[in-house]
Amino acid sequence: MITPLKALRKNRFKTVLIFISMSVSICAIFLISAISGGVVGMFSSMLKTDGDIIVTQKGIADTFFSDINATLVKPISHMEGVKEVSALILGAAPVDALPIVGIYGVSEGRFKSYHLTHGHYPSRGEVLLGSKIDDTLKHPSSIILSKKTFHVSGVFKSRIGFEDGGVVMGLSDGGELFHKSASIILISLNDLSKSDSVKDQVQMLSADLEAKTTDSFIDSYNQFKIIKTSSDVIGAMAFLMGILGIVSMMSMVVNDRKGEFGIMRSIGLSSRVIILKLLSETLIVAVVAFFVAWGISEGVLELIEHADKFQGYINGEITTVLLIKVFMVSVVMALFGTFMPALYASRIDPMSLIQKDRA
Amino acid sequence: MKIIAKGLEHYYAHEHVLRGIDLNIEPGSFTAIVGESGSGKTTLLSILSTLLQPSSGEVLYDAKLLAQWGNIDLFRRRHIGFVFQFHYLISYLTLRENIALASLGEFQGEIDPLMERLGIDRLGRRYSDEVSGGERQRAAIARSLINHPSIVFADEPTGNLDTKNALGVYELFAEFSRQNTTFVVASHDKKITEFADTIIEMEDGIVKNIFTR
Repeated sequence: MITPLKALRKNRFKTVLIFISMSVSICAIFLISAISGGVVGMFSSMLKTDGDIIVTQKGIADTFFSDINATLVKPISHMEGVKEVSALILGAAPVDALPIVGIYGVSEGRFKSYHLTHGHYPSRGEVLLGSKIDDTLKHPSSIILSKKTFHVSGVFKSRIGFEDGGVVMGLSDGGELFHKSASIILISLNDLSKSDSVKDQVQMLSADLEAKTTDSFIDSYNQFKIIKTSSDVIGAMAFLMGILGIVSMMSMVVNDRKGEFGIMRSIGLSSRVIILKLLSETLIVAVVAFFVAWGISEGVLELIEHADKFQGYINGEITTVLLIKVFMVSVVMALFGTFMPALYASRIDPMSLIQKDRA
Repeated sequence: MKIIAKGLEHYYAHEHVLRGIDLNIEPGSFTAIVGESGSGKTTLLSILSTLLQPSSGEVLYDAKLLAQWGNIDLFRRRHIGFVFQFHYLISYLTLRENIALASLGEFQGEIDPLMERLGIDRLGRRYSDEVSGGERQRAAIARSLINHPSIVFADEPTGNLDTKNALGVYELFAEFSRQNTTFVVASHDKKITEFADTIIEMEDGIVKNIFTR
């Protein structure tokens, strides 16, 4: 343990460069994974609230484009195993000076899922503001939404950034605003074993409907797939950039320390010992870089979450699972990046020491 | 360890640098390979010390070819010590740690007595850039000796030393060879001939003369 630390200290300039390269890559992986996971997680949480089954227009690419009949709520609520049904309009529109804000038109029964910090639930012509947008707009008493003025009846606090930065109104107001009676219907079940039967019955109500369990909907939702794929691609690029950074820096390190490895070979240290020595050095840097990157990423996520510019819509969270995954990725990055230079070091011909003496 | 070289020839590209070398190196001898630059002494030393494969010919170590000894790393660790012109001490390790590295956990108890014999016992915690050239080379010699090698090969070990330190190194080699460690030293320094008991004089890739004291 002491020898690798001494080696790192002696070669501190290149150690710092490797450390920076790894930290940046690990930070990038943390941030992209946390932010994409946060976006998907926020939307999933929103749908999962009081929703075991989600009903949308068939074949739509995005719930914002879905247009279904809100009157279906009544027949669905009479189906066996159904506990509660609510219709929801999902839209986006400019609000006062803000160019785009999430707008949620909800059935009266769903208001209870918004925890008021003050005021009351909205009546016709009124809206609830999420605490984040309320702060951004400096606690307005009314807002202008698509050229219409709405009185602010209250403010709610939600841990879901999309909601906390959005506007909630009654379903009828939302319907007038977006010219549809509902975007989706959320069904809460008494008995989850009835889910297939409820789905089948819902689909029989109209050929234009698609009913899925919320989990299945989230897994198959195109927008989530795009976000996840983009995040995986960017994460993979950061991983590769990290490996390339380590390979190039470790190649320079090995070149600088040719004499050291040559003498090790001449005194009979095996290739394995030399490879392990270099791997242990990079692993130490990787572990330190991981913790530093974790700290930086938490700080950046905190800043993003509270940045007015993002209206609370970007809300990443570094979960324990993500921590474990990124730690493993950091270790793999260090091992992959170091292996080839270490292999080269382990094969340095001690003859090169004699030839160097001659030079 | 007795070394027998038979018909050693070596080429670097088209340059014929060794032209049929036959020689015996007796156990416990102090053999000096001397000659002008380009005479082939370093190439011969490199071949004898297992660092270089000859283009043709063979080297026997106690009547066995190198391949018959098995793992070359293990063979070097058990039987061979090296001293180069440049000390090649690892700069981030103390002199003592450099010597300990070569011992690979064995002979730990012998590091301090060996350093004392070589007159560097008070420098154990110093780094190579904190001691003189002569002291560095003594540490390099200690590193080559710590595993009780049968034979130590040295290539121009005094090339970077002043006369006083160079003579000190030769005296050490002579002293250890009297205790049955074989030394084979390539050098163009004529003073080595005052200490060695066998002198191999080389010229243009052949052994011109062998003097035995």
